[in-house]
Amino acid sequence: MKDVYFPDIAVIDNIRNETGDVKTFTMRFKDPDIQENLTYRSGQFFEVSIFGIGEMPISITTSPSHKGFFELSVKNVGLVSGVLHGLPSGSEVGIRGPFGNGFPYEEVFGKDLLFVGGGIGLAPLRSLINNVLDNRDNFGRVIILYGSRTPGDLVFRDEFKAWEDQPDVSTLVTVDRGDEKWVGNVGVVTTLFPKAGIESKNAVAFVCGPPVMIPFVIKDLLKLGFKEDTIISTLERHMKCGAGKCGHCCIGHKYVCVDGPVFSYREMKAMME
Amino acid sequence: MSRYEEDLWIITRDNLVALMEVFIKTREVIAPVRGHGEEVIFYPIESIEDVAWDWQYVNAVLPPKRFFLPQTEVMFEYRYDNGYKITPRYDDRVRMIFGIRPCDVNALVFLDRFFGGGSLSKKSPDEEPLFPDSHYIKRRANTFIIAFGCHQPGENCFCVCCDGGPFLEEDYDLQLTSMNGDYAVEVGSARGLKIIYGNEHFFHMASSDEVKELERIKEDALNKFGDTCAYVSKAIRRVTEAKVDDSLWEKLAERCLDCGGCSYVCPTCCCYNIVDIPLSEKSGIRTRTWDSCAFAGFTRIAGGEILRSDKKDRLKRRFFHKLSYQYIEKNKRHGCVGCGRCITTCLGDINMPSVVEAIRKQKVTVQAAATLRHEEEI
Repeated sequence: MKDVYFPDIAVIDNIRNETGDVKTFTMRFKDPDIQENLTYRSGQFFEVSIFGIGEMPISITTSPSHKGFFELSVKNVGLVSGVLHGLPSGSEVGIRGPFGNGFPYEEVFGKDLLFVGGGIGLAPLRSLINNVLDNRDNFGRVIILYGSRTPGDLVFRDEFKAWEDQPDVSTLVTVDRGDEKWVGNVGVVTTLFPKAGIESKNAVAFVCGPPVMIPFVIKDLLKLGFKEDTIISTLERHMKCGAGKCGHCCIGHKYVCVDGPVFSYREMKAMME
Repeated sequence: MSRYEEDLWIITRDNLVALMEVFIKTREVIAPVRGHGEEVIFYPIESIEDVAWDWQYVNAVLPPKRFFLPQTEVMFEYRYDNGYKITPRYDDRVRMIFGIRPCDVNALVFLDRFFGGGSLSKKSPDEEPLFPDSHYIKRRANTFIIAFGCHQPGENCFCVCCDGGPFLEEDYDLQLTSMNGDYAVEVGSARGLKIIYGNEHFFHMASSDEVKELERIKEDALNKFGDTCAYVSKAIRRVTEAKVDDSLWEKLAERCLDCGGCSYVCPTCCCYNIVDIPLSEKSGIRTRTWDSCAFAGFTRIAGGEILRSDKKDRLKRRFFHKLSYQYIEKNKRHGCVGCGRCITTCLGDINMPSVVEAIRKQKVTVQAAATLRHEEEI
């Protein structure tokens, strides 16, 4: 019987500074067989261990279409993430998973896709965006809307152009507050909606961002004609075990770690604290 | 009656003592022992002298869940020496738990399903259980169960209302019932029968009168509950349909001390935290420890925000988990076996019967009905 609590060792091969408090860690499992056999869905997460400090759930930001490594983008907000931020390349961490349900993928073949990201919330979406763009023919129009507080808080900036260069993809970025160098949009992410030419008819929206952002985005999506089950988002909990056991992530009768973290707005509405 | 084997056996008290002495030499035997005063606790015994016999206690003050889910348990050791090496730690001692009451056995059955992974939503019925918990499963598989049926309910017992007792119909190895100074022995499993056949000289087959006598004792025990009544089914419906007004939880929250005692003494509560403990600069252990949804920090996320910060929401959560049909469907029973320990423990008188009673007496208010309508619209 596989012990669900037993982590495998992964090595940090590269560290990239995304913003002042977000780093992207490129990792691979030390055991080549485990790395080779790794399969996951966009939207799933790993439990990342720093031995002696603890564990934290982090979504996988790499597309499943990219093999041989995986990336985790981590904001420095807590105990474990703080220690991880201090680790040099070559360090070892523990990894359990992947856990969770992940985003619908095959289910949205042929659809137009709208991605709405805020801050570090772009990390799980990036996995799906890159998987979609690597299999471009399976999907309709793609619109990516992304916002952060300041230009310095934008993650994956280097990739926006590559996304935009793909056929029938528009990428619009905004910040709440610009700086002297910023010439792009200013305003919350919903201010991009009128500029993006969104057609809700055959579309599915994926929304990830800070809790304060989600209700506003959903409200505007509903106005644009999106149905409650074509709005897909993720819920944030401290999932300690990942296996539907420890109880920390329960909302109503759902375990966010097993039944989620991806839910449609219809499902989220029916859940009670 | 779904006994493993229909035959009923009898063992005299002297023979039971002799048999237990054999077991004590060959495995860890956990039995009720006297603590201070009248209290009885489950503890590994070294001598049969230590055992509290069935007429000396109604139930132990703490459930025996800690022998399956220890309050703190080591999951693995880690060591750094040019790379991390992790060694899992399992407890595979052969054990026997003697004198466990039917309610606590039913609680173990609940935990078996939960930790076995059978409670999790599956995409198809043929799917393997998701994420079985090998630590729990190993302990449980290696523990032989000798249960004692209950003749006499204690003052806080309400197992009759929760399908928790006073006798077991399945899920035990052997069930003993005190009868005319001897014990009637029911066999609930293949390994139970093996014990009988391996120690045949200690047992004899019950006469037809003795079979009838056991039935009479069981009926008599049920009658002793008198008008004990926890209106669980009404509470289940109200909780499931969100028809309980928040004012009820608010009122209860005024009496809740956040102590988590209810969870710790509950035989089906099993939420836990995962904590690393460094033992040196390069080595340490990962542990899991009991946790409780009553604690404010239970839903703390990175950055410090507490998602269920209101005490009333935590109480609501606890009883939703115990009573709602959504969980009954997952666990195949509601989360209370009627042991009554929460009644004994909670200083604020928040316990299953009192909450169920409060729900029973609450009228469905405009607010609760509105919530319900809103949910139906979804």
